[in-house]
Amino acid sequence: MLYTQVKGRKVVSTGTAETVGRVADLVIDPRSHTVVAVTVRGSGHGDTVLWSDITAFGTDAVTVPDGEVLKGANDAVKELSGTAHDVLGKRVLTTDGEQLGSVSDIDFDPQSGAVTVLVLPSGDIAGSRLVGVGPYAAIVHAA
Amino acid sequence: MSRLMRTSEVIGRPVVTLNGQDIAQIKDVVYSAGGGAVGGFTLAGRGLFSGPLKQGLSWSAVMALGPDAVMIRDEDVVSSVTEILDASVRPGGSGGNVLGSEVLTDTGILLGTVVDVILEVSERRTCDVVGYEVSASEALGTHSAKVFLPLPDTLSASGEHVMVPAAAKDFVAHDLAGFGAAVKAFRKNLEGQG
Repeated sequence: MLYTQVKGRKVVSTGTAETVGRVADLVIDPRSHTVVAVTVRGSGHGDTVLWSDITAFGTDAVTVPDGEVLKGANDAVKELSGTAHDVLGKRVLTTDGEQLGSVSDIDFDPQSGAVTVLVLPSGDIAGSRLVGVGPYAAIVHAA
Repeated sequence: MSRLMRTSEVIGRPVVTLNGQDIAQIKDVVYSAGGGAVGGFTLAGRGLFSGPLKQGLSWSAVMALGPDAVMIRDEDVVSSVTEILDASVRPGGSGGNVLGSEVLTDTGILLGTVVDVILEVSERRTCDVVGYEVSASEALGTHSAKVFLPLPDTLSASGEHVMVPAAAKDFVAHDLAGFGAAVKAFRKNLEGQG
């Protein structure tokens, strides 16, 4: 599933069948190459739902058991979110110090949350090569 | 694969951690004792108004010197800049600054003046000074104004002159692409004589 397609997707509570918000951003942990949380806007509750609290990441909606799983970001999520940690649009550097371009999209597994592919204009990079993401660049293992 | 680069291209390159942070940029290259290898770098802050930093980077702390960035593990690997400079002090030498020096052969022929220093980053993770880009004198008899001159492993340099064996003249390259082979051929030639 592509990152650019899930932005704005509605988040629905299976308990009340109500829309509780819309997907704002994915929070990615570069060390485990997985989506660890989803930030949500327009919610009456908190703005973060942990990946483990999501019922399903569907093509039309993200379902959660109820609005209560939306909480404020915990410390682990806070450390990984914010523009400094955004992967989308960031320049990509290899551990050899070579620049490959900028991330135009991110493909992830909607079941496990694993980041499978970083999409760059110059070609795809396996998500498992991700080492770290910071304000200057996303770092990937040299091929 | 080993890679050749000009020192002037390395200066200004960002220093980036594996966490994707650009903690500094390369201000200058510091050569280790003898001048034949890179010992480390002095650093400047990133951004328009930032000046030189008190921290420096020793070559042993560098993970990779790439075409677009200098990679380090994290910001803890930087050391104090005086430490880097102390390790590079050359007895009676000029501190490694050869830009503008005249290149003389041991037979007393002026080959030109140094305009850039060529580094080779090898697979063995060493960073050697392998040659100079030289603004050529007439004695070289080349058509291009700037040529690449290979260097022996060790050489003597003052702020004024750099001495090279007369044979260096025969291994001049006109582009960086062909220069790696020229350096190898030149050094092999010197070994043959010794």
